[in-house]
Amino acid sequence: MADIHILGSEILSCGGNLIQTLQKVKNQEEMLSFRDGISFYSFEKHIEQNQKNIYNALRQLVANIVTKIPQNKKKSTAVLLGTSIIDWYLVDAINSCAYEYKKTSYSSQKTSIDSYAQELLSEFELGSFSMSINTACTSSANALLEASNLIECGVAEYVIAIGLEVYSPLMSDGFSKMELISDTHAKPFDKNRDGLVLGEALGAILVGREDSAWSLLGGFSNCNSATITSVGASGDECVEVIEEALKKTALTPKDITAIKAHATGSLSNDEAEINAISRVFESGVDFTALKPYIGHTIGASGVVEIALFMACIDDGFIPKTMFCDESILDGYKPIKEHKSCNGGIFMCNYFGFGGNNISLILEKKI
Amino acid sequence: MKLYIKNFSSYVSDKEDIDIKKTLKQKYKYDTRRQDSFIHLAVYGAKLLQDKTDIKSDDEFYLTSGVGNIDVVQRTNTAVYENNEQLKLFDFINLLGNTTSYYVASAIGIKGKNIFQISNNFTYINTLISAYASIRNSKKDAIVCAIDLVNEPDEVTKRVLGVDESCEVLSGVNYQKISLDREDAIAELEFDAKIYSLEEIKAQLVYNDNKVQMCETKRFETMLGYNVNQAINRCDDMVFVECFEDKYKILRLKSLR
Repeated sequence: MADIHILGSEILSCGGNLIQTLQKVKNQEEMLSFRDGISFYSFEKHIEQNQKNIYNALRQLVANIVTKIPQNKKKSTAVLLGTSIIDWYLVDAINSCAYEYKKTSYSSQKTSIDSYAQELLSEFELGSFSMSINTACTSSANALLEASNLIECGVAEYVIAIGLEVYSPLMSDGFSKMELISDTHAKPFDKNRDGLVLGEALGAILVGREDSAWSLLGGFSNCNSATITSVGASGDECVEVIEEALKKTALTPKDITAIKAHATGSLSNDEAEINAISRVFESGVDFTALKPYIGHTIGASGVVEIALFMACIDDGFIPKTMFCDESILDGYKPIKEHKSCNGGIFMCNYFGFGGNNISLILEKKI
Repeated sequence: MKLYIKNFSSYVSDKEDIDIKKTLKQKYKYDTRRQDSFIHLAVYGAKLLQDKTDIKSDDEFYLTSGVGNIDVVQRTNTAVYENNEQLKLFDFINLLGNTTSYYVASAIGIKGKNIFQISNNFTYINTLISAYASIRNSKKDAIVCAIDLVNEPDEVTKRVLGVDESCEVLSGVNYQKISLDREDAIAELEFDAKIYSLEEIKAQLVYNDNKVQMCETKRFETMLGYNVNQAINRCDDMVFVECFEDKYKILRLKSLR
């Protein structure tokens, strides 16, 4: 993958916008709150799940990104959205006609989960190509990889890859039923970890060929897992995507400056991931987790965690992994204190629900 | 952009209305538990394709839909918000779009890239575009699935499709195995990302005057996948013009048989 650059990024998380969230990460401020009685990384101002509110939040986010696109290239810009949220247009249609007491007169308008992306194209007078990807925790990471493919084959000159996840009682309930939610904090790779903590976030990353400090060198995505809910403890499936991503980018493990791990804090996923890291990288490799700061933002985590990680490097540090006191694997411990770093080659991993796994490799030239 | 079709499969509910779950269990010895109608439909179409062609474990897989798994969204909505019942674990799992693509991949032994994606319009052509962009890099083949399931009442589907209330809608699933390699291909697909104007489309229609046909609208989002398969079946060449509001896209199919 040649010359795909990252030209801008913005997020909205529990910590606020990108600059505000970065400062809180830097200062290791507590951002955890509660929704419906469970631990949750919540926006300061709630965005209720309906089309208008979600679109307005996305619009504000993308407005900052669009300014980085040359005016004469706007029509060559595509939008790819990664999310695992429920299609609220579909829910509205169900409520309008499936229950007699709620029935309204017939009206019809073409809508789908991709309507947000289509509206963004229209409002900001961008191109015509949009796509919404739902591959659970890897959704927006896949959107970023697909974005680079579209640019490489000339479908678009610029692509805005978006990650979207807003609080959903159903999502929280579902994860609770799977006994995956921690009552306290996500403690990735810690012997006493007891689950993940969900969060909500929006993120957008602009990619194109224009030169910039950050490049997306490439990556590898697949779907391979022992069961629908998790990868195997040996980490075989994670090793496969890590090694294929290195192969695609003609890099070796020694070329990697640091790894942003998926690191949910769940029992099985962390075990598989750290085993995979140990099978590919030598002991002492720098790796870290961002979920203890902003939560597991599911479909948004791809774009949001990369945007936040890049902001940390731009600020001169790799963020430490909070709440990991004793690693589950000797010789492999996520970094304990913020570590000075201004650039290098970074691997960002996402090992998700439904067997979808992806490893992306980024570079920041020093 | 040019892609070659190595093989295809179709199932549409008005042509052969079968018990899909039973067929999956009896004919394919497939374990249908914990799944729902949308997943069964997707897996059934994949099994039909596998009956006809070699599927490699590193093939990429793209699944697109106009409406998605309406079955589980409606069932969950009714249970949780109308009947105040608990969310069932497997309904939650099936709510996630990539659950369907996971089951399909597992059923036919694919371990490659796997994407569940929806475009608000032109979803089939846009999926071909993203598959093309990906396999150009990966040098793999890909399986493309276009699927839609009509639930009861079918008015839900009509409301999100933007169609007239009188329009008939049907469930269906259409698969193609696509490649950049022409060898052993049965058809050639040509398309681009361009949006055409009505004037440009009129020029196409005049050129093809004596062969212009209106497609049935009842197969909605899977319509183009269905028409591609029908044309291949008849060894026909086809120019398909898809329309959304005042925007048009063109896909050309050339039979190689």
